[in-house]
Amino acid sequence: MADVTFSPGSFFDNVDKFANSLGYQNAGIAIELAMIPWKSPEERDAFIVGITEEDVKGGNEKNYIKRNF
Amino acid sequence: MRPDAPQNNPANVSGTGGAGQSGNYTGFAYGENSALNNSRVEGNAAVASVNAAAPSSQGDPYADMNMSPLGTFMDPTNNPSEPITAGVDFGPGPGSEALPNAFKSDARQDENVKIAMSYLPDLSLAAQSPNAPDSYKRFVNYLIQNSNGGING
Repeated sequence: MADVTFSPGSFFDNVDKFANSLGYQNAGIAIELAMIPWKSPEERDAFIVGITEEDVKGGNEKNYIKRNF
Repeated sequence: MRPDAPQNNPANVSGTGGAGQSGNYTGFAYGENSALNNSRVEGNAAVASVNAAAPSSQGDPYADMNMSPLGTFMDPTNNPSEPITAGVDFGPGPGSEALPNAFKSDARQDENVKIAMSYLPDLSLAAQSPNAPDSYKRFVNYLIQNSNGGING
């Protein structure tokens, strides 16, 4: 059975994205936002971009930096 | 005197304070009773007309106020000139230093630490997953390292 712990949109995936995008010092806020039943990972990422005005951070190292150079 | 007359019944108390049943004032000097009764009738009529002219005050007391409806969490901001992150220490706009003194408290920081620590066991367990991203592992390591001293940014 595949491990879905970090599947896109899962709670732990949300924690990863929010904690790395908002900063570790905002861990509590990140966990609270991760509990929101987002309609999709895209909606969640749009929210993160909206409040940080930066690309979403987190995820595997291969896609950790999404910004184009 | 008729003993069973209403005015002779001690238990028969008029709401207006008089002994009669009509509600009219009695017992004042000659001519003043009718004047008081007329003013009472006029006053009651005036109050009734005011109430009839403003029915909204009887139902919804806020009906006449121009209040914007409450939005949902994902609605666009009602104050587009101010960043949504104004007052918090990330994102655009002023940070927490811009908040009034009454809003400055370490209670939120304490709550922040409490929430993070309460979920630390589950977060640590998930970090052992083979699919756990390195960024997630770094975050959990940060929580573990700060679990004793607290998270203070």
